[in-house]
Amino acid sequence: MPDEPRPDIRLTGVSKSFGAPGREVPAVAPLDLRLAGGSMTALVGPSGCGKSTLLRLIAGLERPSSGEIRIGDESPDDLRKRAALSVAFQDAALLPWRTVAGNVALGRSLARRPRDAGAVSELIELVGLSGFEAQRPAELSGGMRQRAAIARAMASAPELLLLDEPFGALDELTRDRLNAELPPLWEAHGATSVLVTHSVAEAVRLSDRILVLTPRPARIAADIAVDLPRPRDAVVLGSEAFRETCGQVSAALREGQAPGRLAAQ
Amino acid sequence: MSGALALRGARLPGGGLIGSVLAVAVWEIVARLTAQSFFIAAPSAILLHMTEHAGLLWRALGVTLWAAFRGFVWGNLAGVLMALLVVLLPRGERLISTLALLVFCLPLVATGPILRVLYGPGDGPQVTLAALAVYYTTFLPVLVGLRAAPQGWFDLVRSYGRGRMVALREVRLPAALPYLVAGLQIAAPAAFLGAMVGEFTGAERGLGVLTVRALRALDLPATWSIAVITSAVSVLAFAAVGWAGRRLDLAPPQVLLAAPGQARRSAWQGPGEALLALGVTLALWKGTMELFALPRFFAKRPEDVWAYMVSGPGAEAHRAKLFAAMGETLAFAAPGYLAGLALGAGLAVALTLAPRAAAFTMPVAIALRSIPIVATAPLIVWALGRGAAGTIAVVAVMIFFPTLVACLHGLARTPRAVLDLFEVYAAGRWRRMLGAQLPAMLPAFFASARMAIPAAILAVTTAEWLATGRGVGALMATVASTSDYGMLWSAIALIGLAAVLAHGAVVALERVVLARTNAEQLAR
Repeated sequence: MPDEPRPDIRLTGVSKSFGAPGREVPAVAPLDLRLAGGSMTALVGPSGCGKSTLLRLIAGLERPSSGEIRIGDESPDDLRKRAALSVAFQDAALLPWRTVAGNVALGRSLARRPRDAGAVSELIELVGLSGFEAQRPAELSGGMRQRAAIARAMASAPELLLLDEPFGALDELTRDRLNAELPPLWEAHGATSVLVTHSVAEAVRLSDRILVLTPRPARIAADIAVDLPRPRDAVVLGSEAFRETCGQVSAALREGQAPGRLAAQ
Repeated sequence: MSGALALRGARLPGGGLIGSVLAVAVWEIVARLTAQSFFIAAPSAILLHMTEHAGLLWRALGVTLWAAFRGFVWGNLAGVLMALLVVLLPRGERLISTLALLVFCLPLVATGPILRVLYGPGDGPQVTLAALAVYYTTFLPVLVGLRAAPQGWFDLVRSYGRGRMVALREVRLPAALPYLVAGLQIAAPAAFLGAMVGEFTGAERGLGVLTVRALRALDLPATWSIAVITSAVSVLAFAAVGWAGRRLDLAPPQVLLAAPGQARRSAWQGPGEALLALGVTLALWKGTMELFALPRFFAKRPEDVWAYMVSGPGAEAHRAKLFAAMGETLAFAAPGYLAGLALGAGLAVALTLAPRAAAFTMPVAIALRSIPIVATAPLIVWALGRGAAGTIAVVAVMIFFPTLVACLHGLARTPRAVLDLFEVYAAGRWRRMLGAQLPAMLPAFFASARMAIPAAILAVTTAEWLATGRGVGALMATVASTSDYGMLWSAIALIGLAAVLAHGAVVALERVVLARTNAEQLAR
């Protein structure tokens, strides 16, 4: 339901450092960026390169050390306050004392949406967890937990959907299945999305644009448009264009590594 | 195994029935053989006493249980509210924790008579002492539980723009629930103990009254009957709360006893906070008394204690008397404290090295842990004499069981992957114990060493008061009966100070050791 055009995300001079004053460790170098409303952008880079930090900055969970982030004419905090964004966390972050249905319903209640058991069970069905509504997270497999986490993130019908390596801890087969089944959900919804991943294939498959980040502090090494038709079915995934884009991203990742690190190895 | 252990409570193994029958038989024979030495009552004599005085015992039990129950409710409520206060006001943590410890270290032996004067007749003191006996052991685990949730759950709440109160309701409170159950489980027998001590000081009815009467009359079957009843009630209360907790289907708590809070940020902060805590304590002490206009005759203000001990007439004699008693007490409490810790940790290690023995030792240890010291102290002292051995044994027994349970819990928390690593290199069980399991046990060990300080004070003063007639426990009992309130308040202040200093010393040692072995425990 892309009713009205989603506003762009603009980052101007955004940087982030951690640590005590005088001994700061830069995590994100000053960045200027514009992410188109309604698009899906993937942030790709090696482990610990600061891509998750960048995502948390956009979510308003971290405050930038300098610069400003705007979504349209709002700040991330404004968006959070009116519960217009949601995050699918890397470790699913399901509350262990709530059932699957309870965790998905939490996505509505935290966003101050009225109770709606119908909407909750519809979402659970969409992510393929029908029949598991009454199970606790401890009784689910890793893939099922991520399905529940994504259903919860969708439950508040967010304008901005932030996905922090949602499939990072899963095996290749499960990941592949979730990559096929879940994107249509958020695509149909038309939210502006940002996906953090270290999988090149996943980034190419899911996104409209890929930002390759260099490690510590995060800088943009390459900005690659993914010009592949949707839906990205088996035909698209088997195409030359898909492989070419993957190669492009991989090359950019290799170049992004600091030369000293390679020489040292 | 360990997580279940905390909640599962006492469950005797299959051979339990045969074992119990055998034990009772041995008990009966030993009692009959030692009838002249006058400390073991035979099971048959106990049974006879119980049936002859069934009505009296039932009525007394009912009275004590009712007081204990109300104290249990109030004390746990206070413990939970204090933990919530610390979570909502993290800056006040040191202060609130220190005050909580201080109040918990107040010897029941001394607060009993003072509360009796305050409340007059009735069961006010019993209920208050029961509450005082439980709030701290609930406060600590609930505080840990309120903080145990991973950061990601708080991020989830924040990502929807919701604040601390929603995080409290949706994350902290549910996460703390299993910790609360663990705290309540320890609190149930403790409340019963507190109520009994309250009855020692001038109550009209209750098991505590019967205990004092039986001790004075050297009525062996009566003393043993009460010991058996209180032990049974305590074990049942412990098991009942555990059962109720299991009905709630909660995940067992991950860490029962956490390392102390954040490291200091600067050198002056430690002393500064100590001074602040001292100032607030004195202000609360004086302020409460002035607010309620308590008569100076028995409600001594801080300056009265100062005059009594330092500046007033006869201060030197007062000091000499109190310090002599305190020295006598410490000479028994310190070895008992160390022996209890060493035995508890040592047995935990031994049981881990020989796991088959643990299967039947654990339920017994968990059950014994809840037996009230007031019931066993006179018996131990009768058995071992009024000298050093008896008192040291009482203190050691009081500390031994909680330490054993906590250390076993800690040992069982050795990460699976670390054990596998030792397995891969075919390391022997001693190697594994030294390299992997002992370091994993240390946080639990130190946590129980901290908790053991108030327990040691309670044990030593109770034993001195009820049985040996020496040391500061006996001194407090004497001065309470002769209305020498200056000495009573001085003793309370000195004991509180000693407890806080001992606690500080254990925490300092804990920091040094854990910084080497378990750095991650201190990082939070």
